[in-house]
Amino acid sequence: MMENAWLIPLFPLLSFLILLLFGKRLKEASSYVGILLTLASLVYSILVLFERFSEPTFITKFDWLTIGDMHLTAGFEVNQLNALMLFIVSLVSFLVHTYSKGYMQGDERFPVFYAYLGLFTFAMLGLVISPNLLQTYIFWELVGVGSFLLIGFYFYKDEAKAAAKKAFIMTRIGDVGLFIGMILLFWETKSFEYSEIFAAVDAGAVSGTMITLTAILIFIGAVGKSGQFPLHTWLPDAMEGPTPVSALIHAATMVAAGVYLVAALFPLFAASKTALLTIAVIGAFTAIFAASIGLVQTDIKRVLAYSTVSQLGYMMLALGSAGYVAGVFHLMTHAFFKALLFLAAGSVIHAVHTQNIEEMGGLWKKLKLTGPLFLIGTLAISGVPGLSGFFSKDEILVAAWEGGHPILFLLALAAAFMTAFYMFRLFFMVFTGEARGNQQHVHESPANMTYPMILLGVLAIVAGYVNTPWFGTFLGDWLVDGNKALEHHGHAEGSPLIMIAATVVSLAGIYLAYLMYSKRSLKRNWLSGTGDTLHTILTNKYYVDEFYQMTVVAFTKGFSYFLRFIDVFLVGGLVKGVTGIVQGLGAAGSRLQSGQVQTYGAVAFIGLAVLVVIFALTGGYLR
Amino acid sequence: MNLTAVLSILVFSPLLGIAVLALMPKSAEKAIKVVGFLATLPALLLALAAYLHYQFGKDLADFSVSVPWIQFRGMAGVDEPFFSVNYELALGGFQLLLVVLTAVVATLSALAAAKFVKKEWKGYFMLFLLLEIGMLGVFTAENLILFFIFFEITLIPTFFLIGKWGYFEKEKAAYSFLIYNGLGSAVLLIVIMILFAKTGTTNIDTLVQIMADPSAPLSGDLKLGLFIALLIAFGVKLPIFPLHSWMLKVHVQAPPSVVMIHSGILLKIGAYGLIRFGMGIFPEQFKTLATLIAVLGVINLLYGAFLAFIQTDFKMVLAYSSISHMGIVLIGLAAMNEAGVQGAIFQVISHGLISALLFFLVGILYERTDTSLIENLGGMAKGMPIAAGFLLAAGMASLGLPGMSGFVSEFMAFLGLFKEMPWIAAVGTIGIIMTAAYLLRAVLGITYGKSHREFTGVLDLKGVEFVPVVVLMLLIVLIGVYPSVLSAPLKATLETIMLGIGG
Repeated sequence: MMENAWLIPLFPLLSFLILLLFGKRLKEASSYVGILLTLASLVYSILVLFERFSEPTFITKFDWLTIGDMHLTAGFEVNQLNALMLFIVSLVSFLVHTYSKGYMQGDERFPVFYAYLGLFTFAMLGLVISPNLLQTYIFWELVGVGSFLLIGFYFYKDEAKAAAKKAFIMTRIGDVGLFIGMILLFWETKSFEYSEIFAAVDAGAVSGTMITLTAILIFIGAVGKSGQFPLHTWLPDAMEGPTPVSALIHAATMVAAGVYLVAALFPLFAASKTALLTIAVIGAFTAIFAASIGLVQTDIKRVLAYSTVSQLGYMMLALGSAGYVAGVFHLMTHAFFKALLFLAAGSVIHAVHTQNIEEMGGLWKKLKLTGPLFLIGTLAISGVPGLSGFFSKDEILVAAWEGGHPILFLLALAAAFMTAFYMFRLFFMVFTGEARGNQQHVHESPANMTYPMILLGVLAIVAGYVNTPWFGTFLGDWLVDGNKALEHHGHAEGSPLIMIAATVVSLAGIYLAYLMYSKRSLKRNWLSGTGDTLHTILTNKYYVDEFYQMTVVAFTKGFSYFLRFIDVFLVGGLVKGVTGIVQGLGAAGSRLQSGQVQTYGAVAFIGLAVLVVIFALTGGYLR
Repeated sequence: MNLTAVLSILVFSPLLGIAVLALMPKSAEKAIKVVGFLATLPALLLALAAYLHYQFGKDLADFSVSVPWIQFRGMAGVDEPFFSVNYELALGGFQLLLVVLTAVVATLSALAAAKFVKKEWKGYFMLFLLLEIGMLGVFTAENLILFFIFFEITLIPTFFLIGKWGYFEKEKAAYSFLIYNGLGSAVLLIVIMILFAKTGTTNIDTLVQIMADPSAPLSGDLKLGLFIALLIAFGVKLPIFPLHSWMLKVHVQAPPSVVMIHSGILLKIGAYGLIRFGMGIFPEQFKTLATLIAVLGVINLLYGAFLAFIQTDFKMVLAYSSISHMGIVLIGLAAMNEAGVQGAIFQVISHGLISALLFFLVGILYERTDTSLIENLGGMAKGMPIAAGFLLAAGMASLGLPGMSGFVSEFMAFLGLFKEMPWIAAVGTIGIIMTAAYLLRAVLGITYGKSHREFTGVLDLKGVEFVPVVVLMLLIVLIGVYPSVLSAPLKATLETIMLGIGG
């Protein structure tokens, strides 16, 4: 099976092409093309995953581009991480395809939506089986385009247009880091192949400074894609896209690509303490930074978006603390429960036609399936014992502790507290209490929307059990199996105190949210009151966007106008000079054409004299 | 099989069309358009046949032709060399690609002209076919005199095509074009004449060999001077900052079908000249000035990108974008290694296809809405979804999206320069971000957002309009996905260049 794993990304590509060409005629039947072809990918991915359990890594490549004697290759690789990612991506994509059939029903550009989904899925699957950095970069950019197209799906809305543009440019800033890092690494190691890069690093062929430099440059790419501070601002805005897209791209798969990239290149990062520390610090800071913004947002999707940014920071923290397994494990569980939360949020929006949680409330009784499913997702992300998020978060906390950064560990704990708090704030405000908005026609979503949620709900509960300190660390052992560079970054046995601490902060967060938003025995206005400075700063997201507007954007514009000044006056002046000279010569020439034979004769004679002199002086041609 | 006549037939085949057109009445609009289009086909078919000839493993040298043409004695005495100029055409890998590119773009431009040209079709197509002869000749000429003649042949028809069939300020644009290019070719002529006088030959390969010989009858200073003159002559064409302002006018004022040719092919003569003559004949001097050329490349790249960012007219955005993209050519060449030079050549081809596509789409847009101002447009995706989709895809190609040709060239050019001058290259990467910024600003400004009245009741792409769009897009994707279509023929060219550089 593995030798044909290249087929997995091709199914969705086929879907993209079919729908691009025939979508107009297929109309809403387009969804079947998309669903069936991603199902094919999913089935194949599962088969490959199972085969990879028992067989070694499969890798193949062929020449893609020849430059002189250098052969740049393309190909694919099925190692543990890739096989796992194939499964996660194709599963979530399949579920989102199914869900969208209900969610997008009646949309004028229904086939286009499915075509874009196919393109994105193709790129994402291609990304996770790339065996070299160049190919990774290629698909890395292509997933960006898929994301861009889907964020801007409602192209007639100015917000969607702005969000799509912002997402593309912000991530491209990061991509340039990756681009430079990749090229520098190539000239150091003479290869883009992961295996050869690792071998060169292992053999000490690359200087420590270069490892740190290239690793951090590559990490900048991950910062852009995974919405880490300071390139995070595009991700919340990306919520302008249809909600299934947010679930697929901006929660489960693409935004996790940055984490995946760091994981895939882990042996490189692990060779530089500075690089690892950078990742850990950025991750921890992003985790708490985004969580604090999430505390006050009132748009259901934006709360989830900030929560995604925060959770991605968590994963980065794990990787930066040398917790390879912890990072990948949380990537997987997060993919399930966050996709679930987004799809459930979509179901809520589908029912009440608003995204503002101030206008919701009391939906628990009306959305009999969505409510409990949302609760499962909320419990999982809050780290309540027994659910998947609990185990993976615990693994991260252990890694942060063992990594020797007590401050980062405390930040992670604080972020866990905030996460539990704002997620239950969200839950209580949406599902409990009195209905605050117009909720006359509220009804549960159709089956093709609820079934994917149910499946994700099950996974959000059980997915953690593949790697627990109680029942065995199967996932962790498998992920690092046979990989020398990863041996010391597998599952780490931590003190039970860490687990207890995690549980306590999570329950405390939930309890506080309960007091404030359900029981209402605590006044909520200390956090949501108007006029409060902290609250103003948080609702304005620390003014990062405004800061960029005033600095980077303003500078770019100013510099452009400065150049225009040069173009008009300096270069324009040059043009005037040139044309002036030509015109002057022309005028002089026409004055010579006076018709006076004497003048002509004089000119001819002088010319001849000059030639003779030149000839006499040089003795012939120019020497 | 004797193939020596093939190249001559290829280059001069549009003459047949000119002859037929000359006999036709001016008013036979439809027939003129058909003949004008058909006349481009022989060259296209022969060019493709030559490509296949190569792909089937045959030697491109089969096409070389050399016959005595002009001969005269040195004037200073009997012992002076016997000057002779041969009629020499040949195809190397690089030239082959440019000939194919020219033939493809010319055919598509003829199709576009049938759509966009509204008057005096007879004159238009005759000049257009003459222009095609010039372009094909430029890329196949094997000696400098012949090259120069073809080079001049491209100037005159272009001047008239702009001046007569362009938009409001067409005359101004045409004169501006002529003055700059005229000065450029005057400089070029001086270089050629000095080379001829000093070495007694204008055959390019012979010149390359003579110049590589340390006992060449030229001093180092003279060589450097000649190289700088070449850099200026072709710098006007490429264009290199600050010699660019003429081409802005041309891009805005010339009819779309001419801009397709101009931006797609004519600008590439500058790059071709720099590579073939600059790097080929003066490798040492190129090396001396490599840092300067890299800096000029980065200036072009950033200058064009920042200015494109604030333009209000989409045509101006694309014009500055061309300047910016030609910066990539300079960047790649300045690296003087395989990756860089191959990247530069890829960029020549890639930008030819992409800009032809973009200007065709602009032509469509202008024809339907009478404007190319971004603020007047918007919401095009609603009224013209297919055209808008292609515009977006072309924009993506232009900003270097992987999977399309622009990425491969950009990547290789930077790969090359990062090896030699990492700091200059690092500054250049700002251009990658700015390219995304200005293209998305412009393209989304036109296609996304609220639908303005310009797009109500406007027709989407239809019928024959699909041909240029689809053909160009397929080629762009083909190169992006399978770059070997270009890199294989370039192998020999690259080896020769590298040998000359001594790298």
